[in-house]
Amino acid sequence: MTEVNITIEDVQTGKENTFVKLVTIAGQLDESNVDEKSTMIYELISKTPANLSLIFNLENLEYMNSKSIGYLTDWYGKISSANGKMVIVKAKPNVADVLQVVGLTQLIPIFNSLEEAKFAVLNDTPATPEAPAAAPQA
Amino acid sequence: MPSQEQEQTKITVILPTNAYFTAGIRDFTLNLVKNTTHFGEKWAYRFQLIVDELCNNAIEHGTKTGGEIKITFIYDVKSIEIIVEDTGDGKNKTSAKEMGKLVEERKNPAYVNVGIRGRGLGKIVANWTDELKFEDTPSGGLKVTAKKLLNTPRSEDIDAPIESTNHIILK
Repeated sequence: MTEVNITIEDVQTGKENTFVKLVTIAGQLDESNVDEKSTMIYELISKTPANLSLIFNLENLEYMNSKSIGYLTDWYGKISSANGKMVIVKAKPNVADVLQVVGLTQLIPIFNSLEEAKFAVLNDTPATPEAPAAAPQA
Repeated sequence: MPSQEQEQTKITVILPTNAYFTAGIRDFTLNLVKNTTHFGEKWAYRFQLIVDELCNNAIEHGTKTGGEIKITFIYDVKSIEIIVEDTGDGKNKTSAKEMGKLVEERKNPAYVNVGIRGRGLGKIVANWTDELKFEDTPSGGLKVTAKKLLNTPRSEDIDAPIESTNHIILK
């Protein structure tokens, strides 16, 4: 199985009945591991059925396949329908590239810093995400 | 790296039908494209994903467990072609015609994708290649050919906005 590590931490919100988790994914998400690893996020969502926002830290995610994007999309649907938000912080250029080609960046913004990402999930008017680092030209 | 216009390099890899091996072919693809073709790093990463998606499709649909798939890289100074063939004895075998129809449907900006799957070929591979062809092989398998030309507008334009977000639906 390709190596991937997912950690989940609480993010202090200072707001009652508002829950934010920082989900850090490092390694590679592919067909050999994504089904198993996705259960962690589904369990997290099921334990907090409302007002849960997720910040995905993808700084050390080197690769993700189309199925992992499908999971991201599904989580977005569940989180959004339960009054939560989902954002990404620090995606590598190749990861941002694939998120963009499937159109996911139009729903899940990518921020360059955790502070901006936290601001976006805790406020009604999110900070404008910066463009992901430009990929090297061909 | 090919130095003459007519010089073409062909590399064939046979992989067992096991998702655990696709990490290796991804690494191979990334380094091959980055170091031996005229495509740059951006496209090396894109081909990494293209090969992965084609292989996963062949493993899941086209070949039984314990079988093999064949991946062929053909490249020169103007283009790169990636061909993935399965044996057609998989549990969810799909014909060339069915696959072509499926991809065309999912390429359509009006198509709404509600599932976990279904973005690999129709969204990612179709967007990042200039030609995507499906053929039935004489042995009953499927042969998928993805070709990318080096000097086309789409080779340069990585940041073009996607036409539609209608492929995602909120539950």
